[in-house]
Amino acid sequence: MIDCQHPNCRSINRRAFLADLGMGFTGLALGAMLHRDALSHTTEWASPNGLPHFTPKAKSVIWLFMNGGVSHMESFDPKPMLTKYGGKTIAETPFADAQDPKKLAIERLIVPDANGNQRNTLYPLQIGFKKHGQSGIEVSDWFSHIARNVDRLAVVRSMWTTDSNHGAQTQFHSGRNMLDGEFPTLGAWVHYGLGSLNDNLPQFISIGTREYWNNKDGFYLGPAHDAVPLRIDPKSPLDFGQPERSFSAAAQTVGRDLVRELNELRGVEYPDDPTFAARVASYELAFRMQQSVPEVLDYSKESEQTKALYGLDLPHCREFGSQLLAARRLVERGVRFVQIQHGGGGAGAWDAHSGLKANHSNLALAVDQPIGALLEDLGQRGLLDETLVVFATEFGRTPGSQGSDGRDHHIFGFTVWMAGGGLKGGVVHGATDEIGFHAVENRHYVTDIHATILHQLGLDSRKLEVPGRKRLEIDHGKPIWEIVA
Amino acid sequence: MCTEMKVSWLLTLSILAATASTSVQADATVEYLRDVKPLLRERCYTCHGALKQKKSLRLDTVAAMLKGGSDGPAIRPGAPSQSLIIKRVTATNLDERMPPEHEGEPFTAAQVKLLSDWIAAGALAPADEKGEADPKDHWAFRQCVRPPAPLVANSNWVKNPIDAFIAQRHTEQGLTPQPEAPREILLRRLYLDLVGLPPSAGEIVAAKQNRSSRWYEETVQRLLDDPRHGERWARHWMDIWRYSDWWGLGDQLRNSQKHIWHWRDWIIQSLNADTPYDEMVRLMLAADELHPNDLDKLRATGFLARNYFLFNRNQWLEETVEHVSKGLLGLTMNCAKCHDHKYDPIRQTDFYQMRAFFEPYHVRLDLAPGEPDLTVDAIPCVFDGQIETPTYRFIRGQESQPDKSATITPGVPEMFAFGDLTIKRVPLPVEAYQPERRAWVFDAYTTAARKWLDEANAGIRNSKRALAAALRQEADLLAPIESDTAPTAAGSSPSRTLTLEQAKIAVEEGRGALRVAESALAAAKAHFVSVERRAQAMQARWLGTDEDPASMATQPEKAVAAVKAEREALAAKARLTLIEAEHRLAKAANDKKNSVQREVEHAREALEKAVKLAESSIKPEDEFTQLRGAQWTPTRFLNSTADDPMVKFPAESSGRRKALAEWITDGRHPLTARVAVNHIWTRHFGTPLVSTPFDFGRKGAMPAHPELIDWLAAELMENGWSMKHLHRLIVTSASYRMSSSLADARMPHERTDSRTNIVKDPENRYLWRRNPIRLEAEVVRDSILALAGTLDLTIGGPAVPAANQENSKRRSLYFFHSNNDRNLFLTTFDGAGVKECYRREQSIVPQQALALSNSKLVLDSAKTIAMRLAQGSSDVSGQSGVDDENFIRRAMLSTLGIVAADSEVAACRKALEHWQKEPETSGKPDSARAHLIWALLNHNDFVTLR
Repeated sequence: MIDCQHPNCRSINRRAFLADLGMGFTGLALGAMLHRDALSHTTEWASPNGLPHFTPKAKSVIWLFMNGGVSHMESFDPKPMLTKYGGKTIAETPFADAQDPKKLAIERLIVPDANGNQRNTLYPLQIGFKKHGQSGIEVSDWFSHIARNVDRLAVVRSMWTTDSNHGAQTQFHSGRNMLDGEFPTLGAWVHYGLGSLNDNLPQFISIGTREYWNNKDGFYLGPAHDAVPLRIDPKSPLDFGQPERSFSAAAQTVGRDLVRELNELRGVEYPDDPTFAARVASYELAFRMQQSVPEVLDYSKESEQTKALYGLDLPHCREFGSQLLAARRLVERGVRFVQIQHGGGGAGAWDAHSGLKANHSNLALAVDQPIGALLEDLGQRGLLDETLVVFATEFGRTPGSQGSDGRDHHIFGFTVWMAGGGLKGGVVHGATDEIGFHAVENRHYVTDIHATILHQLGLDSRKLEVPGRKRLEIDHGKPIWEIVA
Repeated sequence: MCTEMKVSWLLTLSILAATASTSVQADATVEYLRDVKPLLRERCYTCHGALKQKKSLRLDTVAAMLKGGSDGPAIRPGAPSQSLIIKRVTATNLDERMPPEHEGEPFTAAQVKLLSDWIAAGALAPADEKGEADPKDHWAFRQCVRPPAPLVANSNWVKNPIDAFIAQRHTEQGLTPQPEAPREILLRRLYLDLVGLPPSAGEIVAAKQNRSSRWYEETVQRLLDDPRHGERWARHWMDIWRYSDWWGLGDQLRNSQKHIWHWRDWIIQSLNADTPYDEMVRLMLAADELHPNDLDKLRATGFLARNYFLFNRNQWLEETVEHVSKGLLGLTMNCAKCHDHKYDPIRQTDFYQMRAFFEPYHVRLDLAPGEPDLTVDAIPCVFDGQIETPTYRFIRGQESQPDKSATITPGVPEMFAFGDLTIKRVPLPVEAYQPERRAWVFDAYTTAARKWLDEANAGIRNSKRALAAALRQEADLLAPIESDTAPTAAGSSPSRTLTLEQAKIAVEEGRGALRVAESALAAAKAHFVSVERRAQAMQARWLGTDEDPASMATQPEKAVAAVKAEREALAAKARLTLIEAEHRLAKAANDKKNSVQREVEHAREALEKAVKLAESSIKPEDEFTQLRGAQWTPTRFLNSTADDPMVKFPAESSGRRKALAEWITDGRHPLTARVAVNHIWTRHFGTPLVSTPFDFGRKGAMPAHPELIDWLAAELMENGWSMKHLHRLIVTSASYRMSSSLADARMPHERTDSRTNIVKDPENRYLWRRNPIRLEAEVVRDSILALAGTLDLTIGGPAVPAANQENSKRRSLYFFHSNNDRNLFLTTFDGAGVKECYRREQSIVPQQALALSNSKLVLDSAKTIAMRLAQGSSDVSGQSGVDDENFIRRAMLSTLGIVAADSEVAACRKALEHWQKEPETSGKPDSARAHLIWALLNHNDFVTLR
């Protein structure tokens, strides 16, 4: 049945298949599928069958996104020249050509406000840095726990994007500037392309505050590919996750059995109706999720050592630490894509227009130990080989100062790192110039990160393309082969 | 079913393989059709096919390639290296290379090899190869002519011409239509489709007992006349026309408009009044040019006001062009923003010509009768504010690269032009560009001023009463003390001292409050005078400028009086502020005194300034603040952090949008009516006739029933574009009334073989059965409330804000809905996206099951529904309550539209018995029944329209 190749048969067949096995996806956007089927009459196109296109190196992704824009110079791309020339205008330094208007032309401004401007006076580094690990990669002293794991990291120091305001958050996830419209995010593509590894859990989960960008992912792939928001609260982890009025478990079970029986009785009239079968299956999944999700968040069986590793006993780490512990437990149970956003408020907590030192040192305190713990914990359990951990942010921050003690948005060069999932560890790829202004070596647009991740998951983005939704070369990006092991 | 398909497919493949191996010739032909032709179609046909013939060259047939263009033949069979096409696709010189730079990627080596191999093998053509059809002949681009309804064999089944077109395909495809659905399902279908709410238990019983042969038609008419119909269908059109409440950051408006709900109410009212579709389109595009002084009609331009975008004019206008084209015309003009359209006869210039229609327009808020404060209420509408702003083509769509060598004038793509597009400037009545002259404007200000005055007078009365009471209390306490409680040396009774103290404070407070009230009255009086004087001065000015020379004389005097009155009012208000602050200071706790003291000082300074101004002499150039009748919605296109310079209301409008509206709604337009009937059909049947409702072009989906679309389009236009006429026609057709069941028919004499139907047409492309529809988000929520009897049927008004939604019983279309604010329950069921929503998703995700099992909405309503059903009056036995069996039957009928089978009743009884034994529900039959209702709301058929 699965092999049926007839174009008219394919979609209905696939839907029935997914519903019957209760696997593949957390749901089916039927409208979207019918719509695509209509478009596909004239083209050779099949919706994905949930299998990778080639042998994957990784099966899950933990996507850590720092809202607001982390300073690359004060994290993973230290620039001593800033300190040396601190207080001078860029024009007065040997790096004056950084402000050549031609080099600045990639910017596509959407929301003009007091931010997102050129900042001319170099601002000294606000924190020291050291070489770490065998690789000797330099990391700022705010991130000592991550630094301990530096030989696991592939650090890409040559990222660029185009939206100089926080729409860059959307851009980092979808690959498109907001002026172009709305496009599926990376997590949605992964969810769309890959089948499920666990029938009891949603496969694409979002934790933490999504800031500037709106709470959707699927867009033209359909809402079935939106992330399911998860709260780290065993009592109420999902929207509508528990009855909002008292309702005993026993009474619910009787009801659930009745619904199943009534649906089966009525289903006689609708044999082979794929939507009917899919709905029945979705009810079953909902019921299982209602039980399995709180189990994921029940940390009572975790050792004290593990909990301490994530910093659950430390007030400043507790929130993010428990999110990352949840992430490990989710990927352990087969969830494909766990998207964690850190830092709420304004357009994102890391948005240090002023008081950068206080801002970044506090936020680093909250995330550094949990991230270090995640890498070590995954490593100890042998999960890091099949889990790709990504540390990303929408843009870097300006080498120049904003006000007396802040840095502005900076799109021309910033840093992202990845670890595990079949990537090399202890490597630095690409570079910015000496003041951290422009990515100058092996430049990468944000979709190159997407392409690298998809490749490690065994997916070919071109094979996922949907008829009528032409994607551009730059949307697909290119895998960063230099960091693939 | 699929096994069979697989066999036939494999068979075809093996035949192809066998043919291919018999001779080189066959091999080459197959390869051309399979590999070469699709490659050329994808990469070359746009410029060298039916759409365009650059260099007089077409590449859509082998014959055409041999014939070649102005540079000679494109191919030389057997000699790839001498074939022009190979030279061009492999050229390294960018001036020579095909496809040209920016028009497409170069051919890959594999593609070049494919082409070369085919040419080397002789470039053989298949027999009878036809070129691409002329775009003029594309089905949706031809003028719409009503086709005759076909005569069909199955004429008994046909109820109206719609069915004839459907039956024709049934016959051709060997399909048998499913029989009519049972009455209870038909009734639920009509109610949910036409009014968006389920029938009540009583209405179902009445319909089932109705013996009239016209019960169905009568029900249809009743529902079309029901005001809830306008609400139901308004939500559909709000999807297509991109309704969105305003959104931004904090209080800053960035998109759409405040009070945009007036446009929503206009849609509801227009649909209920059966305002013709073409008229609605004209008003949405150009009510400000057609009826510049008619506020009711101006509400329609919310359609354009909604596209407002604070920061970027280009994005605003691109969205406008894109969605006017997609939503009203089924054209993807947005594809021509950067280059000529790849599939349709739309040049890049056409995109900018379309934009030019909208180039002058801006958005403003017009004062609504009775409300002078535009932040409280006003009518968002559009006006041409910048008639002279030129439109330029952007090179490759780049905003930063306008081609200033030529100004683009408004126009339409040549293929869709008929007659001349006449654009004449529209002189506006003075009330349109000086909206303060509208009769209701001064009324609104005066009424508000009088209201304040009344409140101030009432405030005085209240304060006096409160003070009198406080004084009485004090007097009572000060009255001679009875001898037996005579004070001793140790002092008076503590409680009594305290009370006296309190009474004194109350008196002080009462005096203070009276002072505040008195100065509030003074301020209200001064404000009233200020409003009156300003109104008089403005009227005098209009008369002066209009025709009455006599009033010229009094004009300066009145202006002076107005300035004076306004200054005095400001001073009175400043005094009020001061007295209020002083009053607060008297009451303030010690630790707050300092900060309140500062407020007092500020207020005192402000008062001194205001008094000084009021006492100073008035200079001729001094101006009073106009009472405004409308306000431009400011933009920030200039990349600054302040509003752009104000756009004024001109005395004339460009007439461009009026001309555009006339072109779109002209009966000769091939697309407008076709696109409209497809939108309507989609909502009745759950699936469209053209599955790309926004693209009727050559790349769009080919409908299975193009003649039916033409017939419906003609029917719509010839019946005065009446949508209710079309609704009636569609829902009374046999096609609409079919069962959605896939099982064997229930009536033996009409037994159909749905297995055969399924094999022949698994996607139901030819409509041999009804497609079940997953109910839209709004219908799911509204139905639950309607069944519970708690739905608030108030029509119209401001959107229900997010904070009030959880407890609100209003229909869901009234919930505040924007890109930022969406209701969680509605979003879970695929509520409309505000940026583009030509079809609702019908997703099936577990979160929906969670919402239906766990939400307060469902759990609370289940109880109410159970109680209502138990109290039902139609119990045969005449008992006040109903027994379990009757309850079950009634519940299934009401919630699901299902006549329960005995097996279903038995299953429900069993569950009820279980629940009745549960500790939390035992002895409470109502609770057990509430659980049953809960289970039925979680039944597949509750969210499914069968």
